[in-house]
Amino acid sequence: MSFARTSVAARPSLWPAAAGRVLAGCALLGAVALLPWLSGADPARTVLRARSADQNPTPAELAAVRDQLGLDQGPLVHLGHWLAGLPRGDAGVSWVSGAPVMPQAGTALSVSLTLMLGAFAVTVLVAALVCARTVFLGSRRRLRQDRAGTTAAVLAALPKFLLASVLATVCGVWWGWFPSSGWEGPQSMVLPSLALGIPSGAMLGGMLDQALPAAFHEPWARTAYAVGLPPGNIARNALRRTLPGILPQLLPTVVALVGGAVAVEKIFNIPGLGRLALEAAVAQDLPVLQTATLALVLLGVSAGILIRALRHALLGRPLRDGALPTLHRPPLVPPRSLRWITAACSVVLIALVTAGLLRDPLQVDTAARLVAPSLEHPLGTDALGRDLLARLGHGALRTAGVALAVTVVSAITGLMLGMAPRASAGPTEVVSTLPAVLSGLLIAGVTGPSVWGAACAVCVVGWSPYAAQTAALLEQERASGHIAASVALGAGRPHLLRRHMLPAVLPALLRNALLRLPTAVLVLASLGFLGLGEQPPTPEWGRLLSENQPYAELAPWTVLGPAAALVVLSVLAVTGSALGRPKGE
Amino acid sequence: MRTTSRGLIAALALTPVLTGCFAPGDSDTGAGSGGRLRVALAVPPVQALSPYSNDATVLSKLSVAEGLTALDENGTAKPALAKSWKQDGDTTWTFELRKAEFQDGTELTARAVVDALDHASAAKPKPRVLSDVSLTAKADDADTVTLTTKSPDPVLPLRLASPALAILSAKAYAKDGSASPVGTGTGPFELTRLSGKSKATLDRFDGYWGGKAKAPGIDVSWIADGTARANALRGGETDVAEWIPTAQAKLLDKKTRHEVPSVRTDSLILNTGSGLFTDAGLRAAARQAVDGSALVDSVFGGYADPAQGLFGPAVPWAAGKRTEVTGRAEAATAAEVKTGAKGRTLRLATYTNRAELPEAAAVLQQQLEKAGFTVKQDVREYTQMEGDLLAGKYDALVFSRVTLLDTGDAVDYLASDFTSEGVYNIAGLKDAAVDKAIRAAAAERDTAGRQEKIMRAEAAILRTDAVVPLVHEQAVQGIADDVEGVILDPRERSLIDVDTRLK
Repeated sequence: MSFARTSVAARPSLWPAAAGRVLAGCALLGAVALLPWLSGADPARTVLRARSADQNPTPAELAAVRDQLGLDQGPLVHLGHWLAGLPRGDAGVSWVSGAPVMPQAGTALSVSLTLMLGAFAVTVLVAALVCARTVFLGSRRRLRQDRAGTTAAVLAALPKFLLASVLATVCGVWWGWFPSSGWEGPQSMVLPSLALGIPSGAMLGGMLDQALPAAFHEPWARTAYAVGLPPGNIARNALRRTLPGILPQLLPTVVALVGGAVAVEKIFNIPGLGRLALEAAVAQDLPVLQTATLALVLLGVSAGILIRALRHALLGRPLRDGALPTLHRPPLVPPRSLRWITAACSVVLIALVTAGLLRDPLQVDTAARLVAPSLEHPLGTDALGRDLLARLGHGALRTAGVALAVTVVSAITGLMLGMAPRASAGPTEVVSTLPAVLSGLLIAGVTGPSVWGAACAVCVVGWSPYAAQTAALLEQERASGHIAASVALGAGRPHLLRRHMLPAVLPALLRNALLRLPTAVLVLASLGFLGLGEQPPTPEWGRLLSENQPYAELAPWTVLGPAAALVVLSVLAVTGSALGRPKGE
Repeated sequence: MRTTSRGLIAALALTPVLTGCFAPGDSDTGAGSGGRLRVALAVPPVQALSPYSNDATVLSKLSVAEGLTALDENGTAKPALAKSWKQDGDTTWTFELRKAEFQDGTELTARAVVDALDHASAAKPKPRVLSDVSLTAKADDADTVTLTTKSPDPVLPLRLASPALAILSAKAYAKDGSASPVGTGTGPFELTRLSGKSKATLDRFDGYWGGKAKAPGIDVSWIADGTARANALRGGETDVAEWIPTAQAKLLDKKTRHEVPSVRTDSLILNTGSGLFTDAGLRAAARQAVDGSALVDSVFGGYADPAQGLFGPAVPWAAGKRTEVTGRAEAATAAEVKTGAKGRTLRLATYTNRAELPEAAAVLQQQLEKAGFTVKQDVREYTQMEGDLLAGKYDALVFSRVTLLDTGDAVDYLASDFTSEGVYNIAGLKDAAVDKAIRAAAAERDTAGRQEKIMRAEAAILRTDAVVPLVHEQAVQGIADDVEGVILDPRERSLIDVDTRLK
């Protein structure tokens, strides 16, 4: 819209945000270009190993590779060459294969984008199903009871790689509905999209479901209902009111799947960008890794800008003119089941931990391999005959503790950064599409294998969903009338922050963090191959899931136990927080 | 809402554009159309199937390219593109070529062979098989080639069977030193298209000197994940799937799983160069504590053989010529281990690239702890730890190693892994007796004598307790019921040949 704006404050300069984006992108690319020099691992060795697994790393061969790649010139010359080629559409040649990078990166990116769109469709569908009840009742003004959010918590806690394994086996092999692997047409998109979309959809749906009652509680909804507008109209406007708060979550949840769906890409043998980047990172194939990173950065930034535009289009002038009413949750009766579910989950977890702690989690008994649940082994045994109950029990505290710590640190970091939305927009967009493996590699390069490395690596990238959420919610909050009133009454910044900003952000942030708790557990475990995190055989839920994944079909109890435990933890966290929620805030 | 619905429409409109982004060129090859074989291989190409890389074995597995010689079941050289050969002196050999044609229509000539071997020698880095020899080729006449080596090389005919020394037509070699096998081999199948790292198409080559292949072509897909490979076979999406992981093998129909002893031996390497295991008594204690046979039925699900030495049943002559290991150090008792360790922890390393190894490490940890060691594991991806391993930053390593490398000759492996100057001497072994025994084997020209000396070297190595063999792996190949003639090769060099076909 071209006519004059009334408020200058609502039309901020675009420069800080643009500068933030450029700076964050450059910093990341620089770090990637320095990877071999940071990690101290000789790229000649890793490249030689990638080309030929059995080649002896003799000094002569290593020198030949070093010479061929021009490694002696140092990182900056390489980065310069690579950058100079980009305007011509030339991203150099792969150090491992010697083939031009651009075509393979382009193909991988388009595959991953297609998969991401499929996952997005499933996400939308699942999110719609999760909030269907609230939308239906709310638009008819029959919303009396709060919801526990159990369904969303259960679905959001499902590990994607496990879902992928199960779908590939059941729908691909047993029933033969879809190809179990490959990327050969729309039919091979179905299963991976489901595996990626169901947990993401549940996560977004869970957040939307929590935000919706406030929209239905607003005066316009009452008026619309009294006037007799159809429920569909009310529902649409309520969504328009709440979606802008959720949309930024698409970036770290769905768009991030372009580079972060490595496990699912492996299971379905999809030649996507995630696998390309991981292979390049492990082999230290810099031209490929840099190009993949650049693609992810550009994707993150453009998706971020798009989402921002979409939010502004949805909220429209009230946001610009500072006339946005604040959303208030209506007083809803907590469902009776809430207490029961919380109690049941606590009892199950406490029983699991106590029973497990009484047993030995490390006792290997090769004779009792993959034993089905019995009196002696209530949850069965794993491939080495170790008691699963014991491993779950012993792993519970460490798993929950580390995941909780990582989530808290990430959420607080995100909250702080989100408060400076213009400066943090760039870093948030850049980091949110960055796979944790990449930050893991950088951390492993600097610190070497370490127990805390995994937690650090996840914290480095884990804050972006919270920063995006905080920034979005604060922007809406700042545009609301009561802030202007408070300012007029002489409220200072600390007061505004404590009384208005934080209360508007925290409940949604908490819900987000709790729904992401299981993901943190899995991401932490996924960095094990870099030597980050606790070394085996220490039991840890994420590790239990990944080490037993190959046996999912042969001995389903080996993965059912840990998956169920993760689900129970997630449900407990979500329902527990709902119980503690102050009414009508 | 108008804006969102517009956005939605735009997104939907994008979808068909992007669905054009599936792996190219698969629509025309339906489920095994017209008797074509569908093969799922495990290791995706790293250098566009260049013979000078890891990919070389694909060329021989799928009978795309051939060398001058090939290996028979006993691991001796048999004629391939050379129909006969003779040794003229210590360092000179003459090879008589057969009448054959390249897939691009050109004739196989001595000139072409010389050209191909020269390119292999000039490749950078040098192919492994040529790493310890320098080879000069000369064309005597149209179908005779003389090969000269700098120093005597008793295993030259075995060397020439390596897929890295495959003979390709002149068209294959580019100016930058790379070699492309697309349409340039001599085998019964011609590589017609390679799509990235996921697919390849092979058609029958009618001009093959050994007769026409029974299958009209091969559709190759690379599936790196073992479970996905097994799934593809079970779902009927492929006819042959190589290397089914042991965890998946039991899920396959009995008729489709075929195990073959592999030349891979898994062993526990003890670091003799530094740390805990410089003490021979502690090494002996570890050797005595470790029981590899416990791994066979558990970790390997029965798809392995208890270790007999460094060389297992896949090396047919090894068992008959094995020398007894004598003069080993006395094993320390649990109490002595505790005092000998002086409070140091045993760093037990292994890597995640082979799924069985971390599991084996967990079993070994328990066995070692029973013997009095305090054990801490270090499990990472192989490339993440190779530097640390070669630098000796570990005490014991669970290691899986191919014992017959490119040359098909065992000396190569022993020399690189166990001699003082060996480049892959992870055990840090510096033992004069071992060096001498391996040198003796390397110098021996007579096949039987060489094998005996190899086994003597094996005994010398085992005497030091630098390596404790655990199991000899078996590879499980998944072959659909209606396929016949798939070759089960312990060296993992052949899979499909002229006679392989759908029933």
